Amino acid sequence: MIEAVDLQKTFGRVHALSGVSFAVPPGQVTGLLGSNGAGKSTTIRIITGYTSPNAGWVRVGGVLASRDPIRVRRSIGYLPESAPTYGEMPVQSLLSFRASLHGLHGKARKQAVCQAIDSCGLQAVRRRRVGQLSKGYKQRVGLATAILHDPPVLVLDEPSNGLDPGQITETRSLIRRLAEGRTVLVSSHILPEIERTCDRVVMLARGRLCAEGDLKTLLAGGEHELVAEARFRTPASSSEALARARAIEGVDRVLPRAMDGGVARWRVEFDPASIDEAELRRTIGALLASVGAEVRLLERERASLEQLFLRLMEQGPETQADDAEPGSKA
Amino acid sequence: MRSFRVAWAIAGREFAALFRVPVGWLVLALYAGLWGGMFVQFVLVPGAPATLRPLFATAAWLMLPIAPAISMRLFSDELRTGSYELIATSPVGDLVLAIGKFAGAGLFLLAMLVATLPLVVVLLMVSDPMPDIGPMLAGYLSVSLLGVLFLSVGLLASTLTASQTLSFLGAMLALFVWLLATTAGRSRAPEGIAEVLALLAITDRLEGFAKGVIDTGDVVFFVVLTGWFVLASSVCLSVRRWL
Repeated sequence: MIEAVDLQKTFGRVHALSGVSFAVPPGQVTGLLGSNGAGKSTTIRIITGYTSPNAGWVRVGGVLASRDPIRVRRSIGYLPESAPTYGEMPVQSLLSFRASLHGLHGKARKQAVCQAIDSCGLQAVRRRRVGQLSKGYKQRVGLATAILHDPPVLVLDEPSNGLDPGQITETRSLIRRLAEGRTVLVSSHILPEIERTCDRVVMLARGRLCAEGDLKTLLAGGEHELVAEARFRTPASSSEALARARAIEGVDRVLPRAMDGGVARWRVEFDPASIDEAELRRTIGALLASVGAEVRLLERERASLEQLFLRLMEQGPETQADDAEPGSKA
Repeated sequence: MRSFRVAWAIAGREFAALFRVPVGWLVLALYAGLWGGMFVQFVLVPGAPATLRPLFATAAWLMLPIAPAISMRLFSDELRTGSYELIATSPVGDLVLAIGKFAGAGLFLLAMLVATLPLVVVLLMVSDPMPDIGPMLAGYLSVSLLGVLFLSVGLLASTLTASQTLSFLGAMLALFVWLLATTAGRSRAPEGIAEVLALLAITDRLEGFAKGVIDTGDVVFFVVLTGWFVLASSVCLSVRRWL
């Protein structure tokens, strides 16, 4: 488990982090999101011990990073962004060297290197120099160095960077597999990838926490909206239905969008205190049937992570947490 | 024991890396070439005494560009490529890291000196009577001590910048000022400062070794200063974490 509490970091006059607090529970994959300059890399660098916060603290597996940094670093497997490494070294030698840094020697080191090579599909390039490998393979080497010592905590910065679609799928499966019994924090710009890989998300904006929580809950609980899609026989029937929908009690707004073939798509925003979602769905269904429209879709609007991300970035750093975990407020 | 093993692993990687990059071979060739040239010019002269003293006496000036060329990539290159992030987030203390890097460069320096041993063999073969081995051993010890001291200064410079060029120039300039101040500068300095400069004079101490005299005080001088610069390098690495 990773706990970050009230992290603050300044670079000169720039406040990279201003009181960021969040938790990454074990056995789950947590995504760290934010636009450029939001403070993701600084947060990751503080967790991994590369840099120290000006204020606040980080605890990894119950150990305070400021009190026992070596022990904390031993428990973390880290893949930095763009997987920097020693280009002049053959893959196997590099992994062997990295294993030595983690205190693995002799048989244990050989075994760890072989396992990491197998897990990351590096058999074909194990004797080649890292600098001669493709970006995708370099990324895999970075992943292999991160999992080499079987750490309980994995911190992966842009793990899908430079990978082809097949490799992205493989990496996703690998991360999901590695997450079993581990604490995994993944930072990525590829939002659909985060949506597929992560159970939880932590979003940063301008150095502050703007959302933290279970991904499904965040996506489902963001808006009280229904989406209706129907084919109307005439434009007049469409206009009539729209006017009647807007008049339904509890409906705040209906935003129509014309599509091909006489199909219209409505986004219906409603006040859950005034009308129940199921009742609204029944009312709109009956309304559309009464004007002879063919209903194609009538369901709760589910925002994509991209939509949620953009909305929160626009709103700025005001905490939205789905649960009351310690340290969930900025 | 664990720290020693880790430092040894870092030293081994650093030593091997210097042979994997052109700059390593270039430095090796340059040093062997400089020694070879001076050997032919000043030692392999008919009627001249059979001794390597001219080489050992100028060792400080010869080492001036060589040591910074070896040390410039130790941390600067890692900082430039970003691989420093990997070792800095490994479970390795900053002092162990600095010692490992320094030891790797030191091993390379020893390899460089081993490359000059054929000159000793040639001298032994062509000299009659045989030259005294004692001053030669003392001379090699002095060059080793001098080399590692210069490397430690270069190590410190490389922790301060991500630019290998700046690291090289910074270390060379610092060493040049040191040598100049403790030789030519000493005679012009006020008495109190001249005494301090005399204490820090490297060339004076090398002369003793060149004569075949190993003074414990001279050895301690090199060891303590080297240790100080390695320690300062580790402090710089720790300070980096707070920036």
